[in-house]
Order: sequence, then C-alpha cells, then structure tokens
Amino acid sequence: MATRNRTTVYRKHRDACKSARAPLSDSFGGPVIEMVSGSFARSNHSSYAPLSTNDPGPSSDDAFTIGLPPAWVDDSEEITFNIQKVRDKMGELAKAHSKALMPTFGDNRGDQRVVEMLTHEITDLLRKSEKRLHNLSTRGGPSQESNLRKNVQRSLATDLQSLSMELRRKQSTYLKRLQQQKEGQDGVDLEFNMNGKMSRLDEDEELGGMGFDEHQTVKLKEGQHVSAEREREIQQVLGSVNDLAQIMKDLSALVIDQGTIVDRIDYNIQNVSSSVEEGYKQLQKAERTQREGAMVKCATILLILCLIMIVLLILKNVLF
Amino acid sequence: MGLVTSVRDYINRMLQDISGMKVLILDPETVSNVSIVYSQSELLQKEVFLVEMIDSISASNESMSHLKAVYLVRPTSENVQKLRYQLANPRFGEYHLFFSNLLKDTQIHILADSDEHEVVQQVQEFYADFVAGDPYHFTLNMASNHLYMLPAVVDPSGLQRYSDRVVDGIAAVFLALKRRPVIRYQRTSDTAKRIAQETAKLMYQQESGLFDFRRTESSPLLLVIDRRDDPVTPLLNQWTYQAMVHELIGLQDNKVDLRAIGSLPKDQQVEVVLSSEQDAFFKSNMYENFGDIGMNIKRMVDDFQQVAKSNQNIQTVEDMARFVDNYPEYKKMQGNVSKHVTLVTEMSKLVEARKLMLVSQTEQDLACNGGQGAAYEAVTDLLNNESVSDIDRLRLVMLYALRYEKENPVQLMQLFNKLASRSPKYKQGLVQFLLKQAGVEKRTGDLFGNRDLLNIARNMARGLKGVENVYTQHQPLLFQTMESITRGRLRDVDYPFVGDHFQQGRPQEVVIFMVGGTTYEESRCVALQNSTNSGIRFILGGTAVLNSKRFLMDLEEAQRISRSGSHMV
Repeated sequence: MATRNRTTVYRKHRDACKSARAPLSDSFGGPVIEMVSGSFARSNHSSYAPLSTNDPGPSSDDAFTIGLPPAWVDDSEEITFNIQKVRDKMGELAKAHSKALMPTFGDNRGDQRVVEMLTHEITDLLRKSEKRLHNLSTRGGPSQESNLRKNVQRSLATDLQSLSMELRRKQSTYLKRLQQQKEGQDGVDLEFNMNGKMSRLDEDEELGGMGFDEHQTVKLKEGQHVSAEREREIQQVLGSVNDLAQIMKDLSALVIDQGTIVDRIDYNIQNVSSSVEEGYKQLQKAERTQREGAMVKCATILLILCLIMIVLLILKNVLF
Repeated sequence: MGLVTSVRDYINRMLQDISGMKVLILDPETVSNVSIVYSQSELLQKEVFLVEMIDSISASNESMSHLKAVYLVRPTSENVQKLRYQLANPRFGEYHLFFSNLLKDTQIHILADSDEHEVVQQVQEFYADFVAGDPYHFTLNMASNHLYMLPAVVDPSGLQRYSDRVVDGIAAVFLALKRRPVIRYQRTSDTAKRIAQETAKLMYQQESGLFDFRRTESSPLLLVIDRRDDPVTPLLNQWTYQAMVHELIGLQDNKVDLRAIGSLPKDQQVEVVLSSEQDAFFKSNMYENFGDIGMNIKRMVDDFQQVAKSNQNIQTVEDMARFVDNYPEYKKMQGNVSKHVTLVTEMSKLVEARKLMLVSQTEQDLACNGGQGAAYEAVTDLLNNESVSDIDRLRLVMLYALRYEKENPVQLMQLFNKLASRSPKYKQGLVQFLLKQAGVEKRTGDLFGNRDLLNIARNMARGLKGVENVYTQHQPLLFQTMESITRGRLRDVDYPFVGDHFQQGRPQEVVIFMVGGTTYEESRCVALQNSTNSGIRFILGGTAVLNSKRFLMDLEEAQRISRSGSHMV
C-alpha cells in the first residue's frame, strides 16, 4: 500500500516560518544566530527536551513543557509491570510442571514445593493487580479523562483475564496428569504385588486369609503415604483454581465482548456524547425534583408558620 | 489483497511506531472508515486509550500532555482550520498527523505556520479514504448522492464537489492497491465521463510520480458506469441475507439499527453488528437465500441448546472448572445466536405484514420474464390489494414502466392514474421522471435481455428450463458486464477508453465504480464471480449502498431540484 511522507516538506516550512517570525520578536543582533541554531537543534529533539539552553527566547511558549502525568498513570504502569512479571513466572511454572511430572523413583516433594510456591506467587500477583485495577475506576462525570481511564482499565482487564485463563488451563492439565500418574503409580505398585504374590495370595485365600507379612505392610503404608500426599496437592491446586475463577468473574465484567456492538469505535464515540447529554438531563431533572420536593414545601410552610407565631407572640406581649 | 486488509494495514502501520499512550482523533468520515475494519479492543491492544472526534477536541481545554495525538482525517479545509487552532494551543504532548488523501502544498504551509510549539512529529498521507465493508466491495457513503442525475448547469459547484470526492475515493483505492489502471467509462453518462477524465488527469498528469507503480503484465481496468443503466436492481426486493437486511431494515457501516422497527422488548440489543470478518456464521450465510438461512439458524440454535444443557449439568469440580474455562466462548455464542434469531424473526414479520412474497413474485416476473398482458393484470391486482404498502405499489409500477415503456401506452397511463389515486403520498410524476432518467433510450446495456438476439434466445431457454427459485432469478446487469470483460468483449462503442488509453488482452484486476451507488445484490454477484477463479479479480465500489428506499429518495430529491430549477428558468 502506498503512502507518502510529507514530514520533510512540513519541517522545512515550519523552520522557514520560525526564522521569519524570530527576527521580529527579538531585538538583539547577536543572539539571532544562536536563535537559528537553537531552532535547528530543537527540531531534531523530540518535544520532551523543552527548555533549550541556547535560547534566550523571549516567548516562553517556544519550548513546550510536558506536565507530569496524573497519579493514576502510576497505577496502570505498575499493573503493566506486574503483568510482565506474571508472564515470566508462567514460563518458569511450565518448566516446573514438566519437572514435577517426570516419573522418578525417588520423592519429588522438592519439585512439588517449587510448583506450589510459583503458583502462589502468580495468584498473588494477579490478585494484587486486580485490586489495583479497581483504583482506576473514576467517580467523576463523563469527560475525556474518565473515558481514557476506563479504556486503560479495560485493556489491562483483558490482559489479566487472559493470563488467569492461561494459568487455570495449565493447572488443570497438570492436575489431570498428576491424577493419571497417581492411579498409574498405585496401579503399578499393586501390579507388582499382584504379580509377585499371585500364587501366594491364592494360597492365602484358600488358607482363610492370613495377615500380610512385614514386607508387604511396609509397602502398603508407603503407598498410602504417597497417595495422601497426592491428595493434598490436588486439593491445593483445586483451591487455587477456585481463586482464579473468582478473579475471572470479577474481571469479565470489565472486559469488552468482541464482535458485538460494544466493540465498535463509532458506537463508543456516539455513546460518550449521548451519555453526557443524558447525564445532564438527569441532573436537571434531579434538581427540579429536589426544588419542588414535597419535603421542601413542608419545611417552608412550617417555617412561615413559626415566624407568624413568633410575631403573634411578640404582639401579644407588647399589647398586653 | 482485499480492501479490508489494506485499510487495516494502514492503521497498523500508523500506530505501531508510536509508543506510549495515544489518543486517536477522527473526523466524521474517517470514523466510518476505521470502525468498519478495526475494533475497539484491537485499538486498546495498541495502547490507543481514547478516541475522539476532531470537533470535540477543541471543545475542551483540559491538557493531557502525557498522551500522544494521532490524527487520521480527510485533508479538507475545515479539518485544516481545526488543526490550526489545536496546534496553536496544543493539548497533547505530540502530534502525528495522517491524512487520508493528497495534501495540497498550501495546506502544509498553513499547518506549518501555526505549529509554533513544534509539537507535530510527522505528517503523512495514508490513503484510507473509503469504507471497505467487504473485501471486494467499498463505498464512499456520500450524502448528496442525487447530484449525478442532474445536468451540470443546475448546480455546477455541487457537481464539482461530488466529482472531486469520487475521484479522491477512487484514487485512494488504487493507491492502496498500488496500481495505475486503464480507464473506461459508459458513453451515455456525462457524470461518468467527467469522473473518468478527471481521474485520468490525476493519475497520469497531476500526480503521475505518485502513481508510477511497478508495471504488471496487464494493466488493471477501472470502469466507471452509471446507476441509471440498471435502475431495476435497487428497486427489487431481496431474499439473500445481507441484501435482505439492508432492504428491509437498513445496514449502515455493517451495523443494523433495530430501533427502526420499533417492536422489540426493552432489554433486547438495539444495534447489532453484521460483519463477515468477525462473524463466521454471517460469513457463510450472507449470500444464502432466506429459506436456507432459516435452516442454518435452526441448526445453530440446536447446537447452542446442547451446549447450554451440558453447562447446566455441573456436578463435579472438574465440570465447574470446565464451565468457567469455556464461559467467554459460551457467552459469545449466545450473543451471536440471539442476534441472528432476532434479525430473522423481525424480517419474517415484515415479510408477512407487507405481503412481500406475493409482491416479490410479480417483481421478479417483471424483471425477468415477458408477457405484457399478464404483467399488466398482475400489477393491477396488486395495486388494488389493500395490504400492499405505498412504497411497494410505487416499485411495481416503476418496474412495469421500465420494462413496457413503449408497449401499450394506454395501459401504462391507467397504471399511473391508479397509483396516484391509491397512494396519497406519491409525488406526482416520479415514475415519468425515472423514465426520463433511465428509460430505454438512455440505457446502454441490455437490461431486460431483449435487445440482441443472443440474449433473447438465452432468456427463452431459461424460461423453458424453469428456475430453481422464483424469488432469486434476477441477475443484475453487472453480471453481464463482468462476463463481457472476462471474455474480453466489452464493446468500445458503449464503453470507450479515456484519451489514448489502450488495453491489450484481458485485465487481471478490475475495479468497477458505479456512480449513483451499488446494491448488496451486486456485491453478492461480484463475490460469487470472484469465487469462480476465472483469473480476474473484480472489485465493486459506489458512491453509496442503495436499497429501494434510498434510491427512491435520491430520485425524489433530483426531481424536486429539477422542478425548481425549471421554474427559475
């Protein structure tokens, strides 16, 4: 697709206009040269380099100063930073998940702890960000500034929601595979026992079921331990799944549904202007209602009666 | 590359190099251009957190210097003035100006002069100056569309503005496609000729450097034709989804405003979006006829009910987790289903109330088949029918008049009188005005297939074979035009080249611009033609997208002006 850049032509004109304007406003002969070179220097900087030191500039608005952004921008920047941290940690979590799921003979409690810790951190970050997000909501009437804040809030809410969904998906797959492994492992244990002791069990049953011998008891207890461990982990993961579900529910109220009318730019522009008008009308109506309120009428009548009574009282005292 | 992709690419390029929080400022025309291809959530992803109109920017004085302003506006003198005021007292930290068409040097001077604070970082021309509703269909959404019907002497400055806007739009399309075409126009239309010549002047003389693109083996073709060559298509009632929605309710920038119907309960959606890019169901059904749509919607509702039932069956924690996971998609599906069901329900109600099945059958007969006597009987019957609305009566008489203009003038007169007596709001002489504009002498193409022997034979064969659907048997004249281009047999006599342009062989890309407006039936025709892989890609564009209401409105407006003009003369 073709485009055409007119910036160089524009800049040339702008500088020409500037130099045409400058000699008129500056009466000194000397600084004229500095003025010209100052303007060249400035046209190369972005406007974030305001007060140029070469410029004895008579008019202060030659250099456009940038005001500080409002406070809520800090909130939004912090949330963005948190989102980035969450993304990094999700990468680590994926690695930890795969490590914890690797079948080992030993005890992989250390890996599971890492997984737990990471999941906790991520959930904490998400919850903190969500709380901060509510700080961005405004209470003031519809203005361009509040529209801006609303849109920033929406965009961050979308990001947070997609991150929490991703986390939940990862957790549920981890959970599923963990469960499979648990059954598999116990099954494997049982299988070993079965295979090894098949003939003996038959004998035992025939003989009327004696107790297990030492070796088998120890094995059984270990198996129980392991499954209890797994049970606990699964519960924890479920707990965090529920947490995230809660966060998601809160966020989904803020996020835009794609493909609907609310996602159209022209609808949003129209709505702002119409809602401002609506708000104004409502305010007027409220004012009117308040003024004509029955309460107000009663109060005024009562006041008037009181005044009349006082006057009568004074008159009574004066006359008698 | 479709037109939708081109405009999206422009917007992406505009926003990608500017970092930080941005505010996007549009004017009333570019807001349509942008909204139809880009969604609010996509803008938010690009860190555009505020969208404003160029008028409301100057209304407020609050300084938001932590934002960077990105302007996408048309290079009109009003916009340049508004920019001047804004640059003199800038509200934002940086200004990035993108104009949707060619800037004049004087305009650049004016802007540079007022930029005392030097807040403007770039000034570019990004040619997104058209509304790309579908990949091969664009419109210019012009307000005073009726001007093309009037001779130049009536309103020369108005016609000049009209012509300029069209030339700008066509130039933007070709700049977006990076092509320079060979130009042909319809001989019988003055407006088309004028537009074709001015476009040629722009592309080959005034801005020949800008349009000097890499030559392909066969130049693309721009064909400028006039709506009045085919007045039948906008008058017909439609039965394919997109066209039907526009005809019965109204589709503006891919949005449907259901408030026009006024019979919906309070909590229903008031405006819905019908975009083939965002709605997969719409994309696969937009060219299907009404009966098939009904069946497909029923299938969609059944699928949805199954999903809903399984969602109600939540027993374990896993079910809960799965439900929460799938909730966004479920909500989206629900919204989509309810949208299509509402639309189809409303349209069915309108069809029933206006007896459109009956009316449309006669309309299609008038447009496609012969038999003057039978046609007269049918139209008279419908005129006498009380439940037929005024606008439908008018359309029937117009279609009859266009077809049997020269046969049996007595009966034609009787129909005019009957129409005037039955329809109190009918503007006298509108049908005659239409005949004057688009009658058989004015038309180039063979609208009813009864001019040349080959077409007559083809029609007879079709009549004998019978049609599968009586309601969609009409083919717009555009179909024949496209066929002629595909076969390389577009007659020079009827569609001459501008100046000394010449085309060897067949073009591979053709842009057909219809002065006076296109219809969705024609855009469907183009889309179906493109899907046949004939080796030629067609793009259709117009000054507006017509339905019968809009076409009649343009006619009435033109008639009113020509009447008042003749009084003055």
